[in-house]
Amino acid sequence: MNTIRLIRSELRKLTSTKMPWAFLAVLAALAGINAFAVVAGTDFDGSKAFIATEADQQSLVAFAANAFAIAGLFGAIAAAREYGHHTVVPTFLAEPRRHRAVLSQFGAIGLGGGVLGLVGAGLTAAAVAVALPTTDYGFLVSTGNLTRVLAASLLAGVAGAILGAGIGTLVRNVGGAVTGVVLVLLIAPPLVVQLASGTASWMPSVLANVLSGVGNEVVPAAAVAAMAVWAVVPAAAGLIAVERRDVD
Amino acid sequence: MTPIMEHPIIVEHLTKRYGDHTVVDDLSFTVEPGRVTGFLGPNGSGKSTTMKMMLDLASARSGRATIGGQRYRDLTDPARTVGAMIESDAFHPGRSGRNHLRILADATGIPSRRVDEVLEEVGLTDAARRNAGGYSLGMRQRLGLAAALLGQPPVLILDEPGNGLDPEGIRTLRDRLRAKAAAGGTVFVSSHLLDEVGHLADDVIVINKGRLIAQGSLAELQQGVSLVRTIDADRLATVLDRAGAVTEAHGPDSLIVRDMPIDEIGDRAFAAGVALHELSPRAGSLEELFLSWTATQSVDQEVTRS
Repeated sequence: MNTIRLIRSELRKLTSTKMPWAFLAVLAALAGINAFAVVAGTDFDGSKAFIATEADQQSLVAFAANAFAIAGLFGAIAAAREYGHHTVVPTFLAEPRRHRAVLSQFGAIGLGGGVLGLVGAGLTAAAVAVALPTTDYGFLVSTGNLTRVLAASLLAGVAGAILGAGIGTLVRNVGGAVTGVVLVLLIAPPLVVQLASGTASWMPSVLANVLSGVGNEVVPAAAVAAMAVWAVVPAAAGLIAVERRDVD
Repeated sequence: MTPIMEHPIIVEHLTKRYGDHTVVDDLSFTVEPGRVTGFLGPNGSGKSTTMKMMLDLASARSGRATIGGQRYRDLTDPARTVGAMIESDAFHPGRSGRNHLRILADATGIPSRRVDEVLEEVGLTDAARRNAGGYSLGMRQRLGLAAALLGQPPVLILDEPGNGLDPEGIRTLRDRLRAKAAAGGTVFVSSHLLDEVGHLADDVIVINKGRLIAQGSLAELQQGVSLVRTIDADRLATVLDRAGAVTEAHGPDSLIVRDMPIDEIGDRAFAAGVALHELSPRAGSLEELFLSWTATQSVDQEVTRS
């Protein structure tokens, strides 16, 4: 009961500022870019081969990798601003058992990230579907594969948001948290892969493509587990830090 | 008014260190229900840190603080037991005052109608739907106070609640806190505005550099000062200082004496053969008392160090 109250409170935090609208605007912009690519883009030979098959179109609308990164930024900002604006003080006064408050916050942010992922994938698929009639191709992605793309994006959104929330909780500063997410998701993976090529299959973008059905580097169950590890490790570190630190 | 269950605040040997720096040093005091207790100290004396330790927002190196016999984290319903205002700007600037309170109400299971009630109580109804980032300092203070009052708690712990309030706001705050104490509530208010505390508090707790330097009823503390007029002020000061009093020159032939009953001052002067031309109780202003308490401790610490 108490947990439900806390999650409701955290969801109200997320929806009572303009931040979600800013992220929805980013998702709409990305969908628009995809639609523009369908209308105006060509392959090197000038053809539209990149949208010629169902697999090609599924790759185009597979939003999970983007969802992971965007939700990561969303989670980082949502968590870090709590500390920057000291709103964590009344939160911890309302629920002094901090792990409960923080887990509820992670839950709400994860839910928000999932919604962003789902909306991002939905907008992208819709934009591509709307743009395709301007070409010689129709929308070829089957309902089953489209469902998989949407589900993958939802899952990646949840995982990315929890990862970001963990980093935001650790860093407690919006600028630092955003930098941390960019480092972890965009800068570190290629460097790590260069040092140890065997890790390539376990990087977030690869896992997201596996979940979306446009990659087969690992089995889907392993991709789900690995993505969960990406989310849980920073979240656990954030939770431990919150329990140990004074609130200021 | 419904009587409130009593919740004394008891602080026992609370100590907090950041590295080698001791911020709160073996601090013990009791805040009694039914009274307004002012918490005084210079900037950086450890008031806010002490309050944070009381509320489990900061960990103590040793000692403990209880509210109604329980640590804050063990209270079954903290929001309905303790109303606290620690950070006056603990809100998101892009969120309305009303939503800020609704978030707290959601978290604590307080009905949302109470949000509108408390906004009315603190005079923020008209600004409730505006973003808190556009509030004046006084409005922010009132929003913080509204958050503290949301659960109608019997205990209030407020850090500098009068900051930025206009005279009418200060008067309203004073009336509200006095009413809470009159109903049996425990009210603990830190401030550096001595005049405000002088008008508000029944008791005061004074700390400096993390240490307790005075505690008691404000009336008693103000009365515990004597004025002595004698032509041998230096010798009398030496005699009284050795006996544990705190003396302070007050003109060429007068002394202000603290921490010694007036009868004992007379007896010791007589025993030392010092003729007194005047020996009278002197109700010092809170400002005078505060400055002498903090100055005395500084001197004591300098002597201890050397």
